Amino acid sequence: MAGKRKSGKKPAAGGGRAGGYCPLGDAVRAGIRQVIDAQGRLTGDLPEPDLDRDTLIRLYEMMVLVRAIDERGWVLQRSGRVEFWIPHKGLEAVHIAATMAFARNDWIFLGYRHPGALLLRGAALVQLFAQFFGRRDEPFKGRRLPTLMGDRRLNVVPMTTQVGSYIPHACGAAWGAKIKGDDTRFLTFFGDGATSRGEFHSALNFAGIFKPPVVFICENNGWAVTTPASAQTASRTFAQKGDAYAVRNLRVDGNDPLAVYAAAREARDLAAKEAPSLIEAVTYRLGFHTSSDNPDLYREPEEVEEWAAWDPLIRTCKYLERKGYWGKRQEADLWTRCTRDIDAAVEQAEAMPLPDPASMFDDTFEQMTWMLEEQKAALLGDLERCS
Amino acid sequence: MKARRLNVMEALNAGMAHELESDADVVLMGEDVGRAGGIFRTTSGLQQRFGSARVIDTPLDEKGIVAHAVGMALYGLRPIVEIQFSGFIHDAFEHIMFCATRYRWASGGQYSCPMVIRSPSYGGIKGGFWHSQSCEAYFVHQGGIKILTPATVDDAYRMMIAAIRDPDPVLLVEPVPLYRALSDEIVLDGQAAEIGRAEVVRAGQDVSVLTYGPIRHQVAKVADDLAAQTGIDVEIIDLRCLIPYDIGCILDSVTKTGRAVIVHEAPLSLGFGAELAAVIQEKAFGYLHTPVLRVAAPDVPYHFSIGDECYRPDAGRIRIAIERIMEFEH
Repeated sequence: MAGKRKSGKKPAAGGGRAGGYCPLGDAVRAGIRQVIDAQGRLTGDLPEPDLDRDTLIRLYEMMVLVRAIDERGWVLQRSGRVEFWIPHKGLEAVHIAATMAFARNDWIFLGYRHPGALLLRGAALVQLFAQFFGRRDEPFKGRRLPTLMGDRRLNVVPMTTQVGSYIPHACGAAWGAKIKGDDTRFLTFFGDGATSRGEFHSALNFAGIFKPPVVFICENNGWAVTTPASAQTASRTFAQKGDAYAVRNLRVDGNDPLAVYAAAREARDLAAKEAPSLIEAVTYRLGFHTSSDNPDLYREPEEVEEWAAWDPLIRTCKYLERKGYWGKRQEADLWTRCTRDIDAAVEQAEAMPLPDPASMFDDTFEQMTWMLEEQKAALLGDLERCS
Repeated sequence: MKARRLNVMEALNAGMAHELESDADVVLMGEDVGRAGGIFRTTSGLQQRFGSARVIDTPLDEKGIVAHAVGMALYGLRPIVEIQFSGFIHDAFEHIMFCATRYRWASGGQYSCPMVIRSPSYGGIKGGFWHSQSCEAYFVHQGGIKILTPATVDDAYRMMIAAIRDPDPVLLVEPVPLYRALSDEIVLDGQAAEIGRAEVVRAGQDVSVLTYGPIRHQVAKVADDLAAQTGIDVEIIDLRCLIPYDIGCILDSVTKTGRAVIVHEAPLSLGFGAELAAVIQEKAFGYLHTPVLRVAAPDVPYHFSIGDECYRPDAGRIRIAIERIMEFEH
């Protein structure tokens, strides 16, 4: 391919061992905490979290559903039915396990590859697909790009679209809860690229000083669009940036939901004791950055293959099989069920109406100004005459 | 309740104190605002009175201060943020204009960011472009934020209260040169100003001068001089609010006088005067005897050593514009 370039050698901040692409096979050396290995066996590093059979199955089923949503979203975008898609293949473990480690009334400030957080808190599949299709009756009235999700009823704040800009919003909200004397805890997800923005540093600095009940999870997925983690920072890890601000920090295997759960659970407990945390979850974006991206231009197929062997779905499935909780029949049934549920949600969501142009003016202010009233009347009049 | 004599800064302080006292969700944050009471002393005594959890000295980070206040507002607090000088506000621009103003709309009305951003503005203090900026026009462009600018003791107190109680973000463009220079009698009764109302400072028949900020006091002097010396009868309108502005008051005046001069300290191109000139010709074209004129600063930075005299519009330039519009011939 004409534009093909070699990607940089092993990213310092993404890796930890010489050669190869994926540090998870030598996690201890890279300072990455793990519960299970690629085959779903206990590594003996972090203790196995105390989760019962039903909870573990729920965790895995959600990961599969989220993977199935990604596969469908991609097809819908490529066939022109959804305008834009932000894939999340390979990134299921971090946000799903971390959400499970937090209480229902805790607040989550989402990034854009995290549908599982909403589903775990009870959002219907059709609500998600209505958002992907930009329909009138989804919570945000069709105003946001597909996958930029949230819902106040579920204590999930939708992201401000600029990467990383919401990190101090999460920290500020947590600080607000502390001032009010509430026991709410706060969780936010962002990528490796977001750590280069001033907002990340502002939030960590304020968190170190004012100690609000917040947990920062940096999903280091190796790439910020086309920029490798090694070009994002010269620091050895993203976690160590917490040291500069006296914020507790650690690295976990982001493709190991049990390790993420254990780390997030502990961080949630500590958050209420004036100890905010920065967790670097080392993971990998197996898919494109967005539907407008072409990873062939900047990364090697061998890199993707190496990481695919550490696919969080495969590892979790093997772990469940070893425990005797899961088998081939359940696996086949689950995928059938996901496909059927998604089919129904797509059909229902796509049939919903688009927003009315007049609604563009709503919610700019609590009470619309005369200026907007006048612009609205003028626009609607013009649209009427044009039609 | 007895009237007290306060200067503008004390009136702003009294407005904040009233709301801190009456609403536990109000917090105040910024660089040096706590123990020292701010570099201007606008927040003097508030930390001592309301505690360091609610009157907060922050790190030196405008972006971080506003962004954390956005988070507090999302959670249900009503933060007041002090930006030390409007010249430092640009670092926080994204969080004001793409976050605070956007959460309500972009969440379909689920979230809101009721917060006040205090932006000490305007020239006349030998501050150069770091300390004498009039950059309010940047915030006019896209909705979601209200913009208030007091130029009297009464407005300082009541607009502060109105801004804190408003359900949306408010930019409070404060008149630095009037902080200590202007004082007046005021009853501290906790009454908020009505947002969106202009004030007819002086009624007149010949020409409407539309202005806002501390320069309104210069305009008033010019009007008195002109009345005494030439008989030109100037009507002065202090807009007080840029978003939303008082279109009714503006049109009542301009359709009466048929002449409009706009005076502001901010630079000319796409300053708020450009919007006013456009809306006046759209809505009052048939009433106008002359084109609309503008008196503004040039599109260059505020000069340090000669800016207060040569850059900032003054009485002389205001008078020239009024005389020019009265002499205009087709």
